[in-house]
Amino acid sequence: MSRQAGRGTESKKMYWYLPFISPSASMHLMNSELFTLTYGALVTQLCKDYENDEDVNKQLDKMGYNIGVRLIEDFLARSNVGRCHDFRETADVIAKIAFKMYLGITPSITNWSPGGDEFSLILENNPLVDFVELPDNHSSLIYSNLLCGVLRGALEMVSQHLPFQ
Amino acid sequence: MSRPPGRKQENRKISRELFVLTYGALVAQLCKDYEKDEDVNICLDRMGYSIGIRLIDDFLARSAVKKCRSYSETADMIAQVAFKMYLGVTASVSCSSAAGNEFSLILDKNPLVDFVEELPAERASLCYCNLLCGVIRGALEMVHLAAEVTFLQDRLKGDAVTEIGITFLRKAEDRKHKRNK
Repeated sequence: MSRQAGRGTESKKMYWYLPFISPSASMHLMNSELFTLTYGALVTQLCKDYENDEDVNKQLDKMGYNIGVRLIEDFLARSNVGRCHDFRETADVIAKIAFKMYLGITPSITNWSPGGDEFSLILENNPLVDFVELPDNHSSLIYSNLLCGVLRGALEMVSQHLPFQ
Repeated sequence: MSRPPGRKQENRKISRELFVLTYGALVAQLCKDYEKDEDVNICLDRMGYSIGIRLIDDFLARSAVKKCRSYSETADMIAQVAFKMYLGVTASVSCSSAAGNEFSLILDKNPLVDFVEELPAERASLCYCNLLCGVIRGALEMVHLAAEVTFLQDRLKGDAVTEIGITFLRKAEDRKHKRNK
């Protein structure tokens, strides 16, 4: 499902420094606070619906997955990135373009495994938790677990089956 | 202003789609939880209210607007500034009563329904975007303006446009305006 950017011999380079919205897409920008608070309402509702944190985590992951499989198309259309040639490129695209576009942050990429098939994204400023403190009785809740599902779903659609934690 | 000067104020802009899809997940979850559309609508409104009473703080701090001196100014502020800030769209405003306390906000484009084609047949009375009504109501209440906010027309239900009706219930108090927090 990758889009050909038509960049010829330059197609290997990652134009992450270019504006993340492709010229043909219109600018649909908003401040993130309404999203943050709506996400909070979602998590709160799930905590009402499910007794234990593990079930909430699973549900968030599942919802995220369903979102990711749709979001990837929007991402590819807006960002105009070409096909990633290796996993490192994928990591860069996720961190520098996708996160920037949908959450307004750029996590750092660290902790590459020796085999080059595992890495960590460190979010210094996670907008989803802007107003949040986890109460004591929800210590196992992975509040932002939706994001893991989104990444998993999106990557699955571009044929990289990967587990995300 | 309500924010202490030390608080960091990031002007973080994001593309809407993740929000829109998350909102859809929220509505879907509520539809699992409640059988009747009416209950889902009430729940969305209530959630929106809780969001609105917090969001107003952020809005006032970011927009640095002066106090509105009339209902009309308030309606304009919501439609042109707040909607733009938090949804990336503006609405057009018209006054729909001689008394000057009823307004219509018409949304040509409602971003919340970007990925929704139509309501399922068994959910015909669902006010999909009812969260917005609650947000506006909650926000207004925090600046001492009681209002009723409802969807008058909804494109998802086949109407020509999406129209939000705001009815201000009491005269705006114009004394010293405390923003607690």
